[in-house]
Amino acid sequence: MKPWDMLRLSVSNLLKRKLRTVLTVLGVVIGVASIVVMVSLGLGLSRSLTEEMESFGNMTCVTVTDLSTGGFYMGEESEKKDKEKKHLDDKAIAELSQLDNVEQVTPMLTTNVICLSGAYMCNADICGVPEGYLEEQGVELEKGTYPEQNGTPEVLYGNMVVPSMYNDKTESGYFWDGRMADVDVMKDPVMFVFDTDTYYNFKGNVPSDNGKVPAMPKKHLLPATGLIAGGPDEYTQHAYTIYTDLEDLKTLLKKEFKGKAIPGQPTTASGKPYKEIYYSRLMVYAASMDDVSDLQKEIRSMGYGAESDIEWIKQSQDQMKLVEVVLGGIGAVSLLVAAIGIANTMMMSIYERTKEIGIMKVLGCDMRNIQAMFLIEAGFIGLIGGVVGLILSYIISAVINVFGAGLMEGMGMGSEMTGISYIPFWLSAIALIFAILVGMIAGFFPSLRAMKLSPLAAIRNE
Amino acid sequence: MGDNEVVIQVKNLYKIYRVGDTGVRALNGVDFKIRRGEFCAIVGTSGSGKSTLLNMLAGLEPPTKGEVIIAGEHMETKKENELVAFRRDHIGFIFQSFNLMATMDAVENVALPLTFRGMDKKERDRRARSALKLVGLSKYMDHKPTQMSGGQQQRVGVARALVLDPEIIFADEPTGNLDSKTSEDVMRLMQTLVRKKKQTLIMVTHDNHLAEYADRVFHIKDGKIIKIEEKRASEEQEKEL
Repeated sequence: MKPWDMLRLSVSNLLKRKLRTVLTVLGVVIGVASIVVMVSLGLGLSRSLTEEMESFGNMTCVTVTDLSTGGFYMGEESEKKDKEKKHLDDKAIAELSQLDNVEQVTPMLTTNVICLSGAYMCNADICGVPEGYLEEQGVELEKGTYPEQNGTPEVLYGNMVVPSMYNDKTESGYFWDGRMADVDVMKDPVMFVFDTDTYYNFKGNVPSDNGKVPAMPKKHLLPATGLIAGGPDEYTQHAYTIYTDLEDLKTLLKKEFKGKAIPGQPTTASGKPYKEIYYSRLMVYAASMDDVSDLQKEIRSMGYGAESDIEWIKQSQDQMKLVEVVLGGIGAVSLLVAAIGIANTMMMSIYERTKEIGIMKVLGCDMRNIQAMFLIEAGFIGLIGGVVGLILSYIISAVINVFGAGLMEGMGMGSEMTGISYIPFWLSAIALIFAILVGMIAGFFPSLRAMKLSPLAAIRNE
Repeated sequence: MGDNEVVIQVKNLYKIYRVGDTGVRALNGVDFKIRRGEFCAIVGTSGSGKSTLLNMLAGLEPPTKGEVIIAGEHMETKKENELVAFRRDHIGFIFQSFNLMATMDAVENVALPLTFRGMDKKERDRRARSALKLVGLSKYMDHKPTQMSGGQQQRVGVARALVLDPEIIFADEPTGNLDSKTSEDVMRLMQTLVRKKKQTLIMVTHDNHLAEYADRVFHIKDGKIIKIEEKRASEEQEKEL
């Protein structure tokens, strides 16, 4: 028998019992839709989690630190005490750039500053980055431009710098009593104090080693180039940071701390500063997320500190996968019920068509053709159910995203959510194939039965 | 291959059904030969074993003992799918209750055995149409079985058996569901067609009168052939005279 003829016969059999076919298909529709919607919820959740993680930091990034400064990693790294601890300079950049799977190494120089504007002040990190880096990273600006190298530092404010400003006299500030600092960084002058220790000693009347209270350290007026996009509550890795150009910051720091140790910089064993200014950290970008873990280990073995979010991200992702599986499992139960429905329909169909099948066998229809026709029928139920179920899934998904978004926002979830339910193409494709497969598996035993029916049934005259 | 070639040979055929502890002998040692182009009727009362014999000839039921050789092939040793294939290529079948597919029109019904053979739609429709013309149903090509009378439906059935140009046609009480006038029409049609096409036809009936159309009549009783009547020979002799 030609495949086309089998297909035609199968479809005409489905059309013969329209209501029953529709009801069986409906079962598959509900099964497919529930699986797809459930999994789409899991995927949407994991996607928004990924986006959230991206806002905290680049996921392919390994942050390389100097082990001799900052005691954060001592616990883990103490066994490497004897090892040569390397400082972060241009040699280190060259060395790290040569590693496999490294796309880019970006140096950063960070130091703590006090910003003063009118009655307001705040403590923030000023971070020197190479020109063009922020643009590359896709940091969005509320207004203004990215800082450029032009001799004296120009600064780009993170979106939460101004909210963190505090008025000493009225004891108010956005994070204290909700009153936003009355500072427009683009217009109002902001003074920067780099020698924060001296500033605090001056403010607190604390005498230094020589017994005298130090004088007010030098304040620098740094012009603003712009403001990073985001509301006062939208935390990202850039929110509290003031960015400037790396080289300009270096020049300024060298001048400011002539002969003194720059806070945060490595010192010799005797506590004396080096001549050179070392970078605070190097951002090493891996080619892909999968390389991060190995890269991190390798860099550590070279005598640097290396941190990444990869372990945390992996753990979260595993958890999300579990959620997806559980949600999919709930959906799968209804598809199982639908499969039983298909099997039942096919069995009924065989009982009804016992005589017809018998006639076909007497007239010489190959047994395998008979089986194939039943499988095609069952597969068709799955296919139609799958297609309609997918359409339904997209509708439900859209409805959830429209109505659910407001709800989630009310619950304080990210306002930048791209959607709670997310159906990628592969999910649609798998759902469709799965539906057809379920139909055919459900139809398999009925089809076997049909194939084995005795042709004598055709000749019995009832 | 002459006219006298044997197409069906039955040797010492037994069929025993087990009913409770006792065996019922539906066929109790049957032997006969049928030559190509013969129109044979198997006549017997209900329970005589005539239907069982037909089933065994058509390979629908396996015999308990004995041999059935059709067109040189042993039916009793074939597997089910081989029997199906054999029927597809060599055997046409006419049923008592017509057994047409309700959703198909006359052409599609007649073309069904050709569909099973995997023939092109164009070619099988052409053959089906000419077969329908042969049985006088030119005007009913597109009719569904429900739109036709019993006699017309059985003509479609006859056309379906003929369309394959099979070596043997089996007919199981072909007029059992028809009134006597239509029965006569259908019988005459079958007789003319098989004679014209030199087709072998085995018909099972309980009606002695219908058996008159056959060339040879096998009378069967209690699973045994009790008498074989030669009709055509005498007819032809009459013509010659």
